[in-house]
Amino acid sequence: MDNSQFLILSIWVTVAGWLAIYVTPARFRGNVTGIFVFITAMLTSIPAIHVLTLNKIEFAISGISLIGNIPVRIDSLSAWFILIINLTSLTGVVYGLGYMKPYGDQKSNLTLHWIQYLLFHSSMLWVCMVQNSIVFLIVWELMSLSSLMLVIFDHQNSKTLKAGLNYLVQMHIGVAILTAAFIWVYLSTGSLDFAAIAQFFQTHSNIWLFLLFFIGFGIKAGFIPFHSWLPHAHPAAPSHISGVMSGVIVKVGIYGILRMITFLSTDYLILGELILGLSVLTGLYGIINSAIHRDFKKMLAYCTIENIGIVGIGLGLGLIGLGNGNNIMIILGFGGALLHTLNHSLFKSLLFFSAGSVYQQTHTRDMEKLGGLIHAMPQTAFLFLIGALAIGGLPPFNGFVSEFILYKGMLEGISSSNMYHVILIIISFAGLSIIGGLSILVFTKSFGTIFLGTQRTKLHSEPVEASLSMRLPQYLIIGIMLLIGIFPSFFFSYTSQIVITSFPGLENINSGSLTPFINNLSLVGIYATVFLVLIALVYFTRLLLNKKNLTQTSPTWGCGYVAPRASMQYTSKSYSKTLGKLLGFIVTEKKKYTELESSEIFPEERKHSAYYVDFFENRIIEKITNRLQYFMNLFQFIQNGSTQMYIIYGLFFIVIVFLGTLFNFI
Amino acid sequence: MISLALIILVSFFFTGIVIRTKSIASGRKGPGIFQPMKDIFRLFKKGAVYSETTSFIFQVAPSIYFASVVMAIMVIPFGQYKGIISFEGDFVFFAYVLAIGKFFSIISALDTGSSFEGMGASREALYSMLAEPAFFLLMGSLALLTGYTSFHEIFMTFHFGSYISYALGVMATFVLVMICMIENSRMPVDDPKTHLELTMIHEVMILDNSGFDLGLILHATNLKFAMYGALIANLYFGDLPLYYSIPIFLVIQTLFAVSVGLLESFTARYRMSHNAQFIFTLSSVSLLIFFGVLMMLGKLI
Repeated sequence: MDNSQFLILSIWVTVAGWLAIYVTPARFRGNVTGIFVFITAMLTSIPAIHVLTLNKIEFAISGISLIGNIPVRIDSLSAWFILIINLTSLTGVVYGLGYMKPYGDQKSNLTLHWIQYLLFHSSMLWVCMVQNSIVFLIVWELMSLSSLMLVIFDHQNSKTLKAGLNYLVQMHIGVAILTAAFIWVYLSTGSLDFAAIAQFFQTHSNIWLFLLFFIGFGIKAGFIPFHSWLPHAHPAAPSHISGVMSGVIVKVGIYGILRMITFLSTDYLILGELILGLSVLTGLYGIINSAIHRDFKKMLAYCTIENIGIVGIGLGLGLIGLGNGNNIMIILGFGGALLHTLNHSLFKSLLFFSAGSVYQQTHTRDMEKLGGLIHAMPQTAFLFLIGALAIGGLPPFNGFVSEFILYKGMLEGISSSNMYHVILIIISFAGLSIIGGLSILVFTKSFGTIFLGTQRTKLHSEPVEASLSMRLPQYLIIGIMLLIGIFPSFFFSYTSQIVITSFPGLENINSGSLTPFINNLSLVGIYATVFLVLIALVYFTRLLLNKKNLTQTSPTWGCGYVAPRASMQYTSKSYSKTLGKLLGFIVTEKKKYTELESSEIFPEERKHSAYYVDFFENRIIEKITNRLQYFMNLFQFIQNGSTQMYIIYGLFFIVIVFLGTLFNFI
Repeated sequence: MISLALIILVSFFFTGIVIRTKSIASGRKGPGIFQPMKDIFRLFKKGAVYSETTSFIFQVAPSIYFASVVMAIMVIPFGQYKGIISFEGDFVFFAYVLAIGKFFSIISALDTGSSFEGMGASREALYSMLAEPAFFLLMGSLALLTGYTSFHEIFMTFHFGSYISYALGVMATFVLVMICMIENSRMPVDDPKTHLELTMIHEVMILDNSGFDLGLILHATNLKFAMYGALIANLYFGDLPLYYSIPIFLVIQTLFAVSVGLLESFTARYRMSHNAQFIFTLSSVSLLIFFGVLMMLGKLI
């Protein structure tokens, strides 16, 4: 069988999967989904690996009269994203099997969930493959809708439904903008093929159409100010879905942006500057917000926004490189962005999975109620810790590799551009270092509050370690992360190859100019290993020396106070309070309480609550929607609920049509 | 290799000199300069008390912290001699390796479940985050000036000549000294000799460490001091031969230690609430360096 047949077969496998899920007994439906996700992943990964190592695949699905032939093209860029999607969807479904066990009694709901999961997986894959505007939009819409259904699994909860609605609306604003962009291309070139976009860019101004695409895809990816769906949808979804959404669905947005970048032909510099600036702001905004929230899934959602910012920094650098004709910067920028896309999908899904295990055992997402879980769930704590280290960009894990490539890209940009770019890039350089420093604050806070210390409140049931099927995919992810951390040059050589084949004009770059950098990168991997060995050495010396020494245990030193309580521990709120105060102009805190009145001699018990609001949502989006609502309410008299009025509308309409045809107006 | 050996050597008496200076400044005789090191060796032989609340994090964290500092020291060059680890962009590696040590020291403080240690941990995380851009702006500017991106090559090509370069050298020294004080939680930011846990940063984080672990943490501080001293010394070496550079290195380290002692004797600690602003100001000094570099390269005006 050749590659195109594999791909077509994967569609039929998805359809067969739905039937299979429907006919199997309820308790096996999850496993059946797992099998079908695995088969689809295999069928699409084989062609993708072929593309990465050999040539691109191009064929057309014919026979649909309405649209004509549907071009399907897989170049190395698509292949890279297909592999990422397959990996995360697979780990997600295996984890999901264990995560969904407690919901076993909601049979029909679960069936729908698994059917949607299959659809979701294969629609994401096809988004990366089809290159016909209309079909692309249909698949894109299928992806959005199926992910919506996955998010609102817990639909009895009104908050979940509200988050789902928010997601639905924002995704459709995105689709509307994308549709407008595609129609613009169609009107001026008369073709629905993606190749027409490149034609359009050759003859028209590049900025406006690209910006339309950027906004459309950016809503999916979560660039500010289009990010506000993420912090609502991620906490509402079941954890394996949050992991997959954060791991890959936002990356599909990045895919879209990258795909459009490959079509660009001028205006690289201005677009690069725009994306670089916006990305640094996105990164900072995301990480600052994730520092202050106490809902750990919200914290992770904001952290996704931060990482999209880091990926965006790579895109911006690459574009500036394209504008300046600096080949090394193009490869480091886009290559770093692609590698960070993979890295983020690994550690973010790991973090969502381990956080999901915590949620499953404790039924709360509020860090303030947790604490000391490392004793009850040592493995989950370890998994979360590794994810936290990796996402902080700390060696020897993979996050460091991609951030290092981006730092190198910026250093390359500093030494070879005009002053304006030098200033922009050095500010991004410092910005990325602040993002790194803040992410350490964020993850020491979350790890410390959730897993360390002692339990802060009494939980309904004693938490126990997550099941093996939930832990296994997480260990797999850690294995891949370590591989990237220790053999970075292997992975980077693939991403740099993708960049070289994706951009015209780079084919004849001599590979010699990249070798010093790739050697440099393999040194990073070696030193990461050295570091691990050094830690082991110090630790074993300690063990050896400590053998002779007496050790004993006693309560934590309370600085002289002998009756410490769990509630006296430092909370996550107090941990980040200073930062919140410092940046009060971005992260506004709202408080709800009633003041004591002077007449109240014996005050009654009262509640005090403080929470942070999203700057863009609170200051901009809500203002606009409130205006809109006000304006729309002016027309409320039309929809007044009385049947008589509605009959009059009908009569009125008929009269207008009658008169119109009578006097030839219509 | 030379830098590693010399830094380890200096670390044995660096804090001793600081303490001695402080003693003399306050009219006391003070202990010998090797006293802190003797204390550390004594700690290595001692048993330890572990809190009941702690987990494996508390056991491994001091080792990782110490290893991270040693790893960072290996990146530091010595004049014309490369560090053990040297590659393009190694200063990014340097900063991130130090960060991993910090990460573990912070979570080991949180592991004890003590409210005081949490307080120290929160401050440490915030202040070291704020100091980060100053270091990156400084190194980025030096990379721009010299056209190289590794410590060794940057320091080898950084020459003093014009007035601006002297100003750059002074400001870079200032930034590095201040970063060192922040990283080691010393005077303008934190007072290691304070007696109130509420006002401590680093000291309060290690309240529950004892025995070998405490020795490791204390010696890591000595090493960090000597490491930043070596970075400053490297600014001034250029490619001098060893028989000049080793004495210069020792003199600069001693001067650095004495000035730390003097600073701690004659300045008061800043108010905790103003520390953040103070640390962030360092980034503006780094920005000045950046503009100085632009002027030197003729890109500005």
